[in-house]
Parts: sequence; structure tokens; C-alpha cells
Amino acid sequence: MEDRKPLFSAKNIAKSFAGTQALKGVGLTVYPGEIVGLVGENGAGKSTLLKIIIGAQPASSGAMEMHGKPFEPKTPMEANREGIGMVFQEQSLIVNLNVAQNIFFGHEKQFKKNGLVNWGQMNKAALEVLREVDVTDISPRKKVSDLNFATRQMIEIAKVINVTKQAGSDHCLILLDEPTSVLSEAEVQNLFKQMKKIASRGHSVVFVSHRLDEVLEITDRIYVYKDGMSVGDLATRDASEKLLYEMMVGRTTTTEYYHLEKQRVPGKKVVLEAKDLGLHGVFKHVSFQLHEGEILGLCGVVGSGKEEICQILCGDLKPTSGEVQVRGKKAKFSSPVEALKASVLMIPKERLYEGVVMTLSVEDNIALSSADKLKSGPFVSKARIAEQAERWIKTLRIKTNGRKELLMQLSGGNQQKVVFSRALASEADILILNHPTRGVDVGAKEEIYSLIRDIVAEGKSVILLGDTLDESIGLANRILVLQDGVVTGEFSAEVGGKPEQVDVVSLMM
Amino acid sequence: MSQKTVDLGRRYRVREKIIQYFSFSAIILLLVGLSITQKNFLGSSNLTNLLRDTAPLMIMSVGMTSVLLFGSIDLSMGAVCSVSNVLFVKFLKEYGGSMPNVGVATLAAFAISLCFGLIAGFLLGVIHVKLKVPSFIASLAFMSVWQSTALLIAEAPISVPKPMWGAVSWFKVSFGVVGLPLVLALVLVVLVHVFQTRTAVGRSMYAIGGNERAARIAGTPVDRTKIAVFTVNGLCASLGGIFLAAKLRSCAPTIGDPFTLLIVASCVLGGASLTGGKGSALGTVLGVFTVAIINNGMNFIGVDAYWQNVVFGVFVLAAIAVSMDRSTRGLVIK
Repeated sequence: MEDRKPLFSAKNIAKSFAGTQALKGVGLTVYPGEIVGLVGENGAGKSTLLKIIIGAQPASSGAMEMHGKPFEPKTPMEANREGIGMVFQEQSLIVNLNVAQNIFFGHEKQFKKNGLVNWGQMNKAALEVLREVDVTDISPRKKVSDLNFATRQMIEIAKVINVTKQAGSDHCLILLDEPTSVLSEAEVQNLFKQMKKIASRGHSVVFVSHRLDEVLEITDRIYVYKDGMSVGDLATRDASEKLLYEMMVGRTTTTEYYHLEKQRVPGKKVVLEAKDLGLHGVFKHVSFQLHEGEILGLCGVVGSGKEEICQILCGDLKPTSGEVQVRGKKAKFSSPVEALKASVLMIPKERLYEGVVMTLSVEDNIALSSADKLKSGPFVSKARIAEQAERWIKTLRIKTNGRKELLMQLSGGNQQKVVFSRALASEADILILNHPTRGVDVGAKEEIYSLIRDIVAEGKSVILLGDTLDESIGLANRILVLQDGVVTGEFSAEVGGKPEQVDVVSLMM
Repeated sequence: MSQKTVDLGRRYRVREKIIQYFSFSAIILLLVGLSITQKNFLGSSNLTNLLRDTAPLMIMSVGMTSVLLFGSIDLSMGAVCSVSNVLFVKFLKEYGGSMPNVGVATLAAFAISLCFGLIAGFLLGVIHVKLKVPSFIASLAFMSVWQSTALLIAEAPISVPKPMWGAVSWFKVSFGVVGLPLVLALVLVVLVHVFQTRTAVGRSMYAIGGNERAARIAGTPVDRTKIAVFTVNGLCASLGGIFLAAKLRSCAPTIGDPFTLLIVASCVLGGASLTGGKGSALGTVLGVFTVAIINNGMNFIGVDAYWQNVVFGVFVLAAIAVSMDRSTRGLVIK
């Protein structure tokens, strides 16, 4: 295989977002007619790399080559012209247009006659394109919003194949970012058939999936990414699920990093309980207990339902079945205000959109969840707001030019500390930490870990959705694993008895 | 990243300064210009007029400031003001005579008008918050409803009957050049200011305007706050209507219509951001004076009545273009 010229190659691609490195110099080489698998945990950098190849995002550094020539696309259109097409994880069809209009979106020129689009001709051409991928039961006139997700996926693939074919190149590169997550078994098989057909014509496919069995079935070669780096590539015939798991998670749980010396045995009292909780179409039959002073880690890939469980617990979403009990009492929160009254508060995942108010000062952000507690008479005491802010800035060592500074002027890690300060100042004693170290550098991470240990030492309880699996296992007393909305396993994670990541991952995927 | 955030912060602060001083410097410039060119502009009679007539606009603008603070808007204020205005006078005319005395009649008329404002504001708040209709559209629809309602109650202007003049005489009370209406309006401003800056609910309005999602997750009563503010805003609109009735000793079913633009202009000139999160009652007072001086100045110079609206509209566009906050991307009106 090495004697052939690669169709596409990327070397040393790095990408950083707002201070964190999503990619730290990865490489990818694809030969003509090859199906390459790309696997790794959430946040390993797979999607980021694909977005760079398709021109949706620029790389911070590194070089790419296509057809042996330097390649630096600024827009997906440019990449299309070179023969690269991508099916995005989030679907990119325009649902209020019909199938044919979507397939030829941006390429309507070929059907133009006297300034008008010849729709009949376009529909006929669309029928051709669909037949190419063996979709014969869909009218090109049908609106995309009337189709189910699986059909949309096939149309998306048909569209991409068509776009790359238009490039006039013999060899195209098609990027598929988790295309199978919404498909049924039969549809997956059809997709695989199409992929093989594409490859047999000398085109190449990059296939990203969380389902390792699929990757092993369809690919020729597999790249494994971890934390923005490539940890190796191997021929599929040499790979096994177990080997891939081990490569994906590494073996680096360190004792000091997670302050294991401070990990305690939780109390016996149950502070929060989920009983047969369900949210229609997302997860079902989820039951667990959270004890006083416990850190319970929820693990699962994106779409496993763990995010929605958090939203329900903090009052942002209502369950469709089952119930939540807080300290033995049934809790039906209609909004986060009520959850906070019952002493439950979430530190949200998307700091920018859900966690902080950029246009307010540090002190006002810290007081956001505790305004009622800072009253003297009918008024909020400015002195107490200031005093509270000063105290937390000191305790958590928040780097700021003073409590009056606008939050937007702080770095990501310090903003996250402000969010923690706010949560701690609220005196809520059941905290849901949704990716508490997201977008935070290593130093701040360790401080936050130490802080989480201190929180539970005070008798507070924590539900943790770790930013990485390593983090969840390292911090938690107990791990609950979810897959596709169902609890698939539970591990004790006491000091000395932490589960292997491989074992947890195998229940997640 | 750190470099970028610092720049962002500085640009933000510079813009804040521009907005902060914009209406203040506009007032000074206008006053200086007008008093040099127009001999009697700063004379006591014009000044008395100017200061007294700003009261209704000030009351309504202060109400709107709170709504804009959390990123919504109420375009029905002018129409609510009209309905309250005709309700007040119509009641005095039809039922004032059957009341034991003028005092009771006045109280009853006040109560009816204010009740209406309260209900109108509450309805808008509930529809906006619970049914998730954008406030822009919801209030536009209500504007249409209340405009017609005002015409249904009184299709032509009605005067306050002479025996009932006691109900509106308070409007002419004055202390030097400062009239009682302005004093009352300023008292309201101070109340709103204290509410906005010192109470838990008031402070949460800034958080909701800055990032509604974050405020919700942080456990702020977003829905309740919004409905409460819309209700108070309705109250302010109806109070404005009563003031206008007292000023003219009569009512007109279309009296509030031109106020909608004046109110928004006053708030924005006073530093309120249409995207929410910024603005203050005190800033709005400056905005109100800017608007009032422009209008009064145009009258004084003798700008043709039809041209006045053209001039004013252009001025508002220019002023908003200069002071508008473009740092937050996204929808202008939520």
C-alpha cells in the first residue's frame, strides 16, 4: 500500500479554541480507494480535524495536501471543488426545501435557462443522483422536513457524492462524521454497501463512529486519536475492539492529579434519588441514589441521555415518567428557581451560553444565585455582595483586577472559578457539575479538582459529568454508565478500587 | 485569547462612555445653541412648560427602561396610554357627577385607569413569557387592540366637565419653574432606580438581559420577573395617560400614538441597549430631556409641524446609530 501515492495527507495539524488546544499536531493520510476509520473519545479532536479538512474552520498550524498539491480550503465550497465532501454530524440539509433543491443547493446554475431554474430538469437529475445510492422510493419533490432522519442521512450522502463528482476528479474524498448514529441496522448496511461502492471506484472515505464494531467491519485502516493527538494507526485486520479501547483511553490515571488522598467514603444518608426516571425518546428507566458527601459520576457518550438527566435534576426540563426525590421528598421542579430552593444547583456545560453573564461584573456574577441571601431588609446589601466577592476571589485565587471588573475580561479558567464561586455562594448542597473543567487549562483543572474534594468534605453531594472519562473515574466514588438512554452498568470507584477505563468504555459504546 | 479579551473589554468600556455622555452632551449643545439663537428660550415661561410637559414621557420611558433591560420591548405603551387617557376623562364626565364629591370621583377615575394599565401589562407579560410570543410581535398586536379600544370608548376628544376640574388641577401646581407633575415623575424615577439597583428582582433584570439562559440556570426567577416588569410598565403607561388628561383637561383616543417612538428614543438616548442588559432609570431621564428639548426647540424656532416629525425621526436614527451597542451579536429584539 505504501508504494501508492496518497490521495490526501495532513501533517502536524494543530487547532486551538479560546486558549485550549483541541488538536496538538495530528496527521492523517488517505490512499485512493481506501476507507479509513477515525476513533477516539469525545473531545479527542476527530470532528475538529474533519472540519478543518472541509474548510469549515482554519487550522492554527500544519499543512495539508490533496492530489499531491498543497491544499488550504477557506470554505467548504473550495474543498468541494477539490473533490472533498462531508456529511456533518449535525445534519446540514435545509428542511424547508425539497430533496432536489437540497441536492443541488449552491449548484443550481447548471439548470438555469433565461434566468429561471428548470425544476423539471433538476428533479430528473436528482432522481439519477438518488439512484446512484440505491434510494429509489423518494420523490425529489418531497420536502425534507417530511422525511425521517435516516432518509435525510442518505440524501445528505447522495448530495455529497454528487458535489464531489462535479469536481471532475477521478478520486474524491468523502468525510462521514458519525453517519450511523441515527440509522437502523438495515440502513447502516445500505450505507456500508454505498461506501464500498464508492471505494471500489477509487474514491476514499473517512469514517468517524463511536461504534467500534462498525469501524472494524467497514474500514481498511484505523486511526486512533486521544486528547488532540494521534496515538497510532493500524490496519483493520490487526485491530480488535479491546486493542482500540486501550489505545483510546490510555492508562494514565494519576493519584495526585485527582487528590485521591482527599477522597472520602460517602455517608449513608440518601440526599437525592431518581426513581425509574424517563424522558420520552431520550432515556428511560434510570434509577440511582446519591448519598451525602458522595461524588457520583455519570458516564456515556454524547446522546446517551446524561445531559438530559442533569437538566431534569436541576429543574430545567421536566421528565415524562418516573420521579425525583430530594431528601426523601418528591420533587417536581418547574424551573431552576425551585430546584435552588430545594438546594439543587447545576454548573452548566456551556459556560458562555449558560454559565456567566459577560456584561456583569465579577461580584454580580458571584451573587447571581445568592441574591436572596444577601438581603438586609428589602434591599440587597452592596456591602455584603462586595464582601462575598472578595472572599471567593481570595479563596479560589481568581485572577482579576478587582471584583468590579467585567466578566468578559477574565480568562476561561477564571471565569469557571467565578461560576464555581456562584454555586458555592448559593449554599446549595446538591451540586450537578456538568463538565466542570471544560475549556480550562491544566493548572486550573487541578485547582478545581481540589475544590470539588473540599466541597464534598463539607458534606455536600455532587453529580459529575466529567470532561473526560479519566476525570470522572478519578474524582468519583461511584460511576454510573449510560448507553443510548439506558443504564448499562455501575462501578464502585473507591480509592484502590477504581475501575479500568477500558471496562467503563466497553459499556458506553 | 487573553489579548483578545482585553481588547474586547476596552472597546466595551469606550462604547459605554460614548453612550453615557451622549445624551448629556446633546442636552448641553442644544441648550447652548438654542439659548444663543432664541432670545426667550431660557425664559421662565418656556422653562416651566418644558419641565412640566416632560412628566408623562418621563413616567412612560422609565417603565420602558426596565422592559428593555431584559431585552424585550413594549410597543403597546402609547396605545395603553390612550385607553387610560379616555377612560379617565370619560369616567369623570359620565359618572363624576353621581359621586359624593370631586375627591372620590378623582380617586375612582385614577383607580379605573390604573387597573386597566395593570391588566394590559400583565396580559402582555403572560403572553410573552408563557406562550413565548416575541414581545415585539405581542406588543405590536396589543397596540392594534388598544388603539381600537380607545376609539370604541371615545371616538372623539372629550373635555373634562367644569365641575370636575378639581380632579386635574394638581397638574398646574408648581414650585418655581418646577411643576408638581415633574416632581411626581422624578419620585417615580427614584423609586424605579432604587428597585433596579438595590432589590434582588431588580438586579436580576440586568442578568436576564445579559444572558437569560445563564440567569435561568443560576436559579433566577426569570418568568416571574418579566411578568412583574411588564405589569409595572403597563401601570406606567396608564399613569402617563392620566397625566396627559390632566395636562390638556381633555382626552383624545389617539393621544398616545406618537409616544411610542418618543419613549424608545428616550430610553436608547439614555443608554439602554435594545439587546438588553444595559440601561438605567437615571440615564433615561437624560434621554427624556434630550427628546423634550429637541421637540420644544423645534416649536420655538418655528419648524413646520409636518416637518417636525421628519427632523425628529432623522435625529433619532442618527442618535441611535451613534450610541447603539453592537458588541452583542444576535437578535436585536428578543
